[in-house]
Amino acid sequence: MNTIAENIADFLKVYPPFDNLTFQELSVIATNIRVLNLEKNETLFQINDKLHDCFYVVSSGTIHLSVIADAEETLLNKCHSGDVFGLRPFFAKNNYMMTAKSREESIVYAIPIATFRPFVANNPDVLNFLLESFATNTWNPKEKENLRGKLATDNVFYIDQKSEMQYFQSLTYNRSPLIATINDVAKDIAFLMTENLSSSVVICDNHLPIGIVTHTDMCSKIATGQFPLTVTMKTIMSSPVVTVVENISLAEAQLMMLKNNVTHLCVTLDGTDKSVVKGMISEHDLIIAQANNPGVLIKEIKRASNAKELKNLRERLTELIQNSIHKNIPLSNIYNIASEINSAILKRAVELSILDLGSPPARFVWLSIGSQGRKEQLLLTDQDSILIFEDVLPDKYRDVRDYFLKLGKKTTATLEKVGYELCPNGHMASNMLWCKSLTDWTKQYDSWMNTPGENSNDLSSIFFDLELVFGEKKIFEAIENVIEKNLEDNSLFFDFLGNDALRKNSPLTFFKKFAVEEEEPHKDEFDIKTKALMPLIDGARLFALHFNIKGLNNTYLRFKQLAIIDSKNSDTYLNCAEAFLTLSKFRVNEGLKNENAGQFINLKELTKLDKEKLKNALAPMKELEELIKSNFKLTQFS
Amino acid sequence: MLDWLKNINKEHPEFWKTYLSKFEQKSKRYVVFTTETSGLNPESDVILSIGSFAIINNRIHIGDNFESILLQYKFFHDNGLSNEFILESKMKKLSEPEAMHAFIEYIGNAILIGHHVDFDVDMINNALIRLGCGRLKNEALDIDVMYRKLVDINDKQFSLDELSEIFKLPKSYRNSPSEDAYTIALLFLKLKKRLGIK
Repeated sequence: MNTIAENIADFLKVYPPFDNLTFQELSVIATNIRVLNLEKNETLFQINDKLHDCFYVVSSGTIHLSVIADAEETLLNKCHSGDVFGLRPFFAKNNYMMTAKSREESIVYAIPIATFRPFVANNPDVLNFLLESFATNTWNPKEKENLRGKLATDNVFYIDQKSEMQYFQSLTYNRSPLIATINDVAKDIAFLMTENLSSSVVICDNHLPIGIVTHTDMCSKIATGQFPLTVTMKTIMSSPVVTVVENISLAEAQLMMLKNNVTHLCVTLDGTDKSVVKGMISEHDLIIAQANNPGVLIKEIKRASNAKELKNLRERLTELIQNSIHKNIPLSNIYNIASEINSAILKRAVELSILDLGSPPARFVWLSIGSQGRKEQLLLTDQDSILIFEDVLPDKYRDVRDYFLKLGKKTTATLEKVGYELCPNGHMASNMLWCKSLTDWTKQYDSWMNTPGENSNDLSSIFFDLELVFGEKKIFEAIENVIEKNLEDNSLFFDFLGNDALRKNSPLTFFKKFAVEEEEPHKDEFDIKTKALMPLIDGARLFALHFNIKGLNNTYLRFKQLAIIDSKNSDTYLNCAEAFLTLSKFRVNEGLKNENAGQFINLKELTKLDKEKLKNALAPMKELEELIKSNFKLTQFS
Repeated sequence: MLDWLKNINKEHPEFWKTYLSKFEQKSKRYVVFTTETSGLNPESDVILSIGSFAIINNRIHIGDNFESILLQYKFFHDNGLSNEFILESKMKKLSEPEAMHAFIEYIGNAILIGHHVDFDVDMINNALIRLGCGRLKNEALDIDVMYRKLVDINDKQFSLDELSEIFKLPKSYRNSPSEDAYTIALLFLKLKKRLGIK
């Protein structure tokens, strides 16, 4: 026993499965530990590597576990301090099935299997923990909940409920296909296929696939009487068989089937017919795989009965977004899908409150404002919402308002449980200020827009990014009309918004360096939200209101539309649209990496190329600024 | 300077001969070590404790370690100092000759790693001479020198705390030579990779 072993035992004892062991036992383990240092992006083991004689515990840093399909990397799990990974050598004899790579400089404890095995055998709790971790697919957040974290499976990664982008997900398929030789008789094979409920059989010669017999062959060649029941496979098989590599994605499997006009694909070790058969993909597998898509997620959201279920579904959305970004799916598409799903969650949250409180006493509408109002929410950000109810008789007003305030409170609380933080500025329907009748809201917008300078404290431009979540469309349209009416010849309001948009600090310093934060806790980091994204968002909103573009709230789409309407400045708008996507991607990546809202970019972690890219994306802001200045003669407030 | 003359006809202890014979082969093992001493003068001060770990194949082997408190009764007596703290420690205690014997056996022909390692080597050498042995034959690497080479700074020395800070190592209480040795070992792994040492 030495001092460091004692320290390590102290570290381990709080994490499962080590929390089941005595300090004495832990000391023995700690004494046998080897400590490794991994540089950033160093690979500890990768798919098909021989198993190591140890498993690993993260001491500090982050390790990413990923798999590769179609030469694309998919992140399965992130391991932080105390997480156990690389358990495969405990249970299996074949090679690693995933890659472990350090996301940042990390220190890892390697625990020899030989040392740990006796403790597994003698301690059922430890054994159960390991078995569970090996048997379940932790990457499914539903189970993550039960396993209270701290372990990462490295077994099978083809998961049924895996909610990935439809066309880039990997396939579950039959890994023990029926195999026959060319001399087998049709009748026997037909029996075999019936018994195994299989629609195909691979004909092999010396373990190499040389042909295939499917239902279709049986129907068209035997049942038609063309060949007798005693015919050999050699005569009726289709040859050659179409072979594909392991880890093929849904998209590629579909393409292969269409291209070759077949219904079955044979999976071989190296993808050619000169290697061993590993499995069989049928059309049916593709149909099943397609059931795991955003549509299904929305369906499940509609059925969710409490905040916890919604939280699980929201986690699956995060997964979906993360995988999509890893696959380089265009961000504008991801925005669309994510906002639909987000919308469904918000809607369900309101519904759940109504189910609880009983029917509302008057018609109303629940609107998202801010980022969700613009359909630009990928990361879990704070909630912004308002509620408008129809006008009621004065003697009923009090009760009606109380009901809707309750509804607002209940819904925001549910959403908070789902993971959307409460808005720090109180821009929520649970706030008496933002939960009121149509008349009151009309007055509110009138006063904001006609005398913008006077109450500017509570005027936030996010109130002009509205999206219907739940309720009467008519009320929503009524408030839209109020806004539209007030826009006419309202130079004062545009002056106000214009100045507001220009008031943000420049993202680059005088010397074209990034204007980084000067104070802790984000010292030397770049505030991409306030300094780069907000000016573009504000600018897009300003022009969209100016040209009275309705129905398009998304900053990207607003710029695209502006390029059409205001064609003499289309270059500027298009540049801004692109810049917005680029900057958003930086933010989303940062947010996913650090599991936060991604507001601050650590410039030190960017490559030189990325830094250039980021800087270039800031260039169109200057053009936009000029455009705002020349379009709206900004005088009254500047 | 002419130490070897004095030793020329002297019979070395048995463990020393075994030690010397180990250098016929080159070692793949590194031993990170640090000493705690009574002062900074290798001639008149003594070693109070030693902590060390082996690194094989870029991995610190926690079990492959050596740590000991050296019982320096005579030194404390001569200087009128109390030696209570040494007696109170839970670490293994050895007399200086026993400790040197065990330490030399432990390091074998490994490459030694330390922080300002020359001083530690000097201290060990003086203890060895008192036992009628020669000087250490091991190659020795200094992590401060390695770091200065990495960043190309020649006019400044870096303390262990500064290096830990630079490499963002989790702060430990570092109240024993073993903990220092562990920190040095982590720093060595990082520096080794960055400098591209095989």
